[in-house]
Amino acid sequence: MDLETVLSRSVLPLDRREAILCAALLQRRAGIRKSWRDFISAECLESLGPLAPEVESFLSGPNSCCDLRPVAGFTWLDCDTAFLDCLNAIALAKGLEYRTLETRPDSWSAADLKKLAGRDRFQALCARYCCPLNIGLGSELELAEELLRQLMVTDRTKLEAEAEFDVDEVLLKLNLVGIRALITRDLRCCDCLNYFYELPLRSLFRMRANSRLLASWLCIYSQLLCVPDWLRCVSP
Amino acid sequence: MRVAVVASSIAAGIRIAKEVERVAGLDVFIIVCNARMQSRPLRWFRELVLAVNSFHWLTLAAKTWSYARPGTLIVLSRPLDDTASVECLEALQCDVGLHAANVIYRDATISSFRLGILNAHIGILPEYRGRSVAEWSVLQGDPTGVTVFFVDSGIDTGERIVLHEFVPPGGQKTVMKLKKMLFGCDARLYRKALEALMSPQLRFDTNDISEGRRYYVMSKVFTYAVNGILRTRANG
Repeated sequence: MDLETVLSRSVLPLDRREAILCAALLQRRAGIRKSWRDFISAECLESLGPLAPEVESFLSGPNSCCDLRPVAGFTWLDCDTAFLDCLNAIALAKGLEYRTLETRPDSWSAADLKKLAGRDRFQALCARYCCPLNIGLGSELELAEELLRQLMVTDRTKLEAEAEFDVDEVLLKLNLVGIRALITRDLRCCDCLNYFYELPLRSLFRMRANSRLLASWLCIYSQLLCVPDWLRCVSP
Repeated sequence: MRVAVVASSIAAGIRIAKEVERVAGLDVFIIVCNARMQSRPLRWFRELVLAVNSFHWLTLAAKTWSYARPGTLIVLSRPLDDTASVECLEALQCDVGLHAANVIYRDATISSFRLGILNAHIGILPEYRGRSVAEWSVLQGDPTGVTVFFVDSGIDTGERIVLHEFVPPGGQKTVMKLKKMLFGCDARLYRKALEALMSPQLRFDTNDISEGRRYYVMSKVFTYAVNGILRTRANG
């Protein structure tokens, strides 16, 4: 959708800044709709098994975004399903059943995260965010900032240079930062996903090694591009 | 007061030194650092190219000579945080350093200046730390400007703010032009900051990092949106 169309469909008193941001987001969403198969190849899609048709229709279909903002007010959440199933449910904007808990696990600092390396860090993040919605809670600010920093400083540099990187860890962080953006409406987190989507294709092709995390990242990113708060200037 | 401009090139150092030497009672030094550890012929070739590109190369040559003759132009052969470079800085016994080099300062370098090193950051602190802050300010509808503060070894986390000045984008139609304009304010604002430091009424503002956020390099899609916002504003 071009800028003129967005401006002509505005319903609120026109804020041109919002209109321009909205046009940019919708243009990118349209781009993903056309070109997501460049990222998720046929083999990659096939490896998703029963999830494949849902991912296909989500990425090719109309704009869809689940409202996760209410989550931000809780102390901690617990889900009955496994981490990857939770992640896929969030990514595909399906309802996710969760329970609220009164207590949360021991707090983790950025320094704790930095101490871990490679597989340990990946597993620790999966364990802590077994219910991935928890990354959006206020108490997780420090860790979320550290994940964003790692992505936008260390990982970005590696991917730009087309150097080796830990596919699983980068994809996990992208998913978590994307979920945080859906909950907190933090434009910096959204832009982190923008930035990675724009990186050299050769680096992104390596992400096919983990098709489930790659598919959920693209679906979460597609949702972020349709967040109603950022598209206020367009009539429903 | 003894002031040293820490610059990446002679031309950059002279541009700032020319402005700040208008303040009475200052001894101004220029320290040219070798951040990329370039060989001597390569460095001098670069200096020559920068001088020719400045279109004022005769003035520049005369100024260079006027600084070199009394020994106030110091060309470091080692990186800035190298022990030999730090010893050289300490020997100068400067009160304030002015940042004009593309380097991140270590504690030893910072403490070789009695008061510290000033940085003219092209964003309003404490709200906008990090990179691409001018474009993030435009995107989020906040005022653009420059903050002069004393650096520490973190990313825009130094506590003492000397001054900040709001600089609206005016007629700048692109991010590049806006940033060039803001970066171009550094010499004038360093002069104002030094005048403030010499005033007995000086009171520092506090850079409370909990009131702001760290920003990262902006994606192409958001930069495109910021260019659109700037163009729309410039065209009224």
